[in-house]
Amino acid sequence: MSLELVATGTGLSVFLKQYLSPTNLVMIYLLTVVIAAGYLGRGPAILTSLLGVLSFDFFIIPPAMSVAVADTEYVLTFISLLAVGLLISTLMAQQREQLEAIRLYEGETSALYALSRDLAVAEEIAAIVLAIVTNVGHTLARDVVVFLAEDGALRRFPLDDTVPLDVQERAVVEWVWTTRRPAGLGAEQYGDAPGYYVPLKTAQRALGVLGVRSREEPEALTAPQRRLLEALVGQAALALERAQLAEITRRAQLLEATEKLQAALLNSISHDLRTPLVTITGALTTLDDAETALNAQARRALIGTAREEAERLNRLVENLLDMTRLEAGALRIRQAPEDVQDVIGSALEELGPRLGQRPIRVDIAANLPFAVLDFVLIVHVLVNIMDNALKYSAPGAPITVQARAVAGEVEIRVIDQGIGIPPEDLLRIFDKFYRVQRPTHVSGTGLGLAISKGIVEAHGGRIWAENAPEGGAVIVLRLPQEHTL
Amino acid sequence: MEKKDKLRVLVVDDERAIRRFLRPVLEAHQYTVMEAETGAAALTAAATGHPDLIILDLGLPDMEGTEVTRRLREWTTVPIFILSVREQENDKIAALDAGADDYLTKPFGMGELLARLRVALRRRVQPDARARFEVGALVVDFARRLVTLDQHEVALTPTEYDLLRVLVQNAGKVLTHHQLLRQVWGPGYENELHLLRVNVSNLRHKIETNPSRPHYIVTEPGVGYRLRA
Repeated sequence: MSLELVATGTGLSVFLKQYLSPTNLVMIYLLTVVIAAGYLGRGPAILTSLLGVLSFDFFIIPPAMSVAVADTEYVLTFISLLAVGLLISTLMAQQREQLEAIRLYEGETSALYALSRDLAVAEEIAAIVLAIVTNVGHTLARDVVVFLAEDGALRRFPLDDTVPLDVQERAVVEWVWTTRRPAGLGAEQYGDAPGYYVPLKTAQRALGVLGVRSREEPEALTAPQRRLLEALVGQAALALERAQLAEITRRAQLLEATEKLQAALLNSISHDLRTPLVTITGALTTLDDAETALNAQARRALIGTAREEAERLNRLVENLLDMTRLEAGALRIRQAPEDVQDVIGSALEELGPRLGQRPIRVDIAANLPFAVLDFVLIVHVLVNIMDNALKYSAPGAPITVQARAVAGEVEIRVIDQGIGIPPEDLLRIFDKFYRVQRPTHVSGTGLGLAISKGIVEAHGGRIWAENAPEGGAVIVLRLPQEHTL
Repeated sequence: MEKKDKLRVLVVDDERAIRRFLRPVLEAHQYTVMEAETGAAALTAAATGHPDLIILDLGLPDMEGTEVTRRLREWTTVPIFILSVREQENDKIAALDAGADDYLTKPFGMGELLARLRVALRRRVQPDARARFEVGALVVDFARRLVTLDQHEVALTPTEYDLLRVLVQNAGKVLTHHQLLRQVWGPGYENELHLLRVNVSNLRHKIETNPSRPHYIVTEPGVGYRLRA
């Protein structure tokens, strides 16, 4: 390239020699030096200025085609040309290096920025690892492998396109993990390995190892690339540590919640299963006891109580089964357009004797469209809701069931005139095993509304609780209307 | 009552507790009780013991309840009474469609069981061929195709009348959605549940005092309808 430049310059100079004095032709040679310095770097620029001096001497300075110099004046021209050439090439080279450095710095900054931006939105470990792999891989144009410590052992993080590692690489990874120092291609340790591996560590602890591998022929990272990798990995390690700590906290909370739930479940079940059994056993043993002289009325009362308790036990078992099925996703919903009036009527029929003398008002809007629902399950939901209404309101207080069409849905409201629901409990009453604490004499498992919510939501419907302005609780159900299917 | 006059009931259930509790109650009500623990044993006992009624549990170890019903129906019209738990909804409906007469879901009251057994047996002894049917204030006169409620004529569409007629002729017995659709609308309509829902709703508005708490046409959720006898 230097040769070509000088040759072009010389050709031009020889052509212009007849019009210009040799002193001015020096400018053309200077131009070649500047071009070389600007585009080719320092070495070629120096070479260009030396070649320039030689060819200037050889071709231009009289006597032409000879190294000999006729006029000593030209010696100064030579020296100036060389000095200027060297100076320019040095300055240009410095500028180029600075530019290169800025460009690299910019690249690092944007790579770091891209990574931190992706890490900021990633919360789970898997998402963080994915962000790291994508960003590091993109920035360095290499494949990235991540190993994370899990219960003391180092495990490779599974990715979709996982390439198998050979034994040697595995050894490098182990070495990096143990010594907490980088190793692999281009490093002191394992310099002949196909990849380069760095520890994922924060100030407090080491979390794993990250490796980069060329996609084709192994090619060592340059020093700036290694610096960049170090910066990226430092940031990645911080994000991973944060996620791991969050995960540990969450697991602890979950465990605590599960334990609480299990305790509540055991408490609730042992109480609710045992109470009816105690009553039934008591009634039966009394009836069996020949010594006890019971009149017919007392016998009937005992039998009646035992029967009610047995029914209660049955409802409890059904609720527990339903809850299990809902949670296992085993509850099959068979939705069809159904007459809501029929659903409400069937629920009242099923409640049967439990309704006693309770006044029930059913208020169904004229021309109410059919709702798309599973008949049996929604009857079950209404039975649960009305059972609550019965339990939480006075024996003579009326219960109202309303049904109407609202914005493409069928709305069913069950309204009682009882004590209502404390505002802070309006949402929580749908939680499993949650029961409003106020009336202690009311029995139940706290499963009915949780099951109802599960069933209604599986229908694509909604259920919520309100307090009526005039007192009493309202449970509202919204289910899809027939033509909206 | 002489022993030979007693009605014979075959109880098919693999749970000893259920058989142990059904036997004394049924015997106390003048039934002779036979027992079977499996579907295969039930088929043999039905062929050799000539029961007047079969109480069939759906949860048998060797055979689906539907299958037992289907095989029995190949040669006998003996009333079949299904006992099921709530998880067996589909099987129960299939057994009813296959020809079982009625069902009860466990746990059940003995009073309810005995009442249903009497209905099933009465239908066996003399199929309802009366020209006139009366329940409460509702009177259906088949000869004149006339329905009256408290002596007032009720105007029904032909479909509503057919629906009521089928229900009335099977009074006390549960009819599945499929059975009703087939008998009222004809074969090929078995899955048109919507037709049935609409007509039942209309019929109720015409004959029930309070359609939200129907007295005559009772819904069996997920199964079908029954005319309260």
